[in-house]
Amino acid sequence: MSASLMVIVILLGSIFAGGLGSLTGLGGGMVIVPLLTLGFHLPLIDAVGVSLFAVIATSAGAAPRFVGTGMNNVRAGLFLQIAASSGALLGAWAAHLLPSRWLFVIFGVVLLQAAALSFKPTRSDQAGASASSPLALKLRLNSKYEQAGEWIPYHVTRVLPGFAVMVGAGFLSALLGIGSGAFKVLAMDKLMKMPFRVSTATSNFMIGMTAATSAGFYLTHGDTSPLIAGTVILGVLTGSYAGAHWVAVLPVKILRRVFAVVLILVALQMLFKGVGLSI
Amino acid sequence: MSNEISNKLTNERQFLTRLILRTSIGLCLLLIVIGLAIFFARGGTHVPLNPSGKFSAIVERTLHNGAGLHASAFLIAGIVVLLLTPIARLLSGVVMSARAHDWLYLMIGLIVLALLIAGLLIGQATA
Repeated sequence: MSASLMVIVILLGSIFAGGLGSLTGLGGGMVIVPLLTLGFHLPLIDAVGVSLFAVIATSAGAAPRFVGTGMNNVRAGLFLQIAASSGALLGAWAAHLLPSRWLFVIFGVVLLQAAALSFKPTRSDQAGASASSPLALKLRLNSKYEQAGEWIPYHVTRVLPGFAVMVGAGFLSALLGIGSGAFKVLAMDKLMKMPFRVSTATSNFMIGMTAATSAGFYLTHGDTSPLIAGTVILGVLTGSYAGAHWVAVLPVKILRRVFAVVLILVALQMLFKGVGLSI
Repeated sequence: MSNEISNKLTNERQFLTRLILRTSIGLCLLLIVIGLAIFFARGGTHVPLNPSGKFSAIVERTLHNGAGLHASAFLIAGIVVLLLTPIARLLSGVVMSARAHDWLYLMIGLIVLALLIAGLLIGQATA
């Protein structure tokens, strides 16, 4: 395949990935890495290096709509970012040490987990914390958010368990080139009892910062193709803007399930590649 | 600190955040589109090499090649602008924390900034 045709196909694939990621909330990174490795036989490390830039782009593209709504708990995001960025450094380092076959297997398992999660309801039925933990008070993590013109206050609790999960989320993000937003939301929503909407917005803020920590590593290490990264960034941003506009029109629930089935098939291919089987 | 000053700082912070995000995404896309246009205009056959090594050297080479209208220079510039977006956002937060005398979050912001810079340094050291 010629370089120009490759760019066009990657651009179309990235628009598709960005659109689906935005519509289903599952993120484009899950599609970009398999597209580049299985479709274009790019080394996994190079695909991860490219995908991390797509993750920063989607995070930065979505961020302005959360500013000033109280949805983004900046203090919690910043504090937890210490954990996520530390995990990201470890993950980027580990990605360069582990055999790529292991990475394919880990990627396959994470994809299966994401597919399983997408069959569950996205909204949390968790009741908020009735009181804040001493550490949350010390760090001033309690806040309020706007809903239907009303400001709703909330408490934050179990900060340290949340902090520990963030190390893992950052590690996986850097290892596999994904946003790992699902793990971040899980930590804030289920463990720290932050409201679901606040958790998703804060997670979006953190995803970009986490990806930037490891993307810098991959860039200076020489694992980022400017031609492919540029094409993917353009495609994913175009797709995610289009997805955000179509979210009200398209049957998102059905799309989410179809996407989950596609993820399962891709996960199996990644697993097979990891264990050296071809299908 | 009075409520009036606190509200003023919050508004400034939100304005600055929106400005950083929108400007950098717009600039990043513009540079990438120019880079891809040059790539196709020159036959679409020359695949640029991956940049590596010192971040300052990558930026220096990019500026030098940009003057010669190389596709790679515009594409790398777009990528670098995108990489700097979260860093700029973080820096603005650090400055705002300093202005609000919020020393705890100034320190937390600086730790996160140090981790971001560590990513660049460890990558180049292991290249």
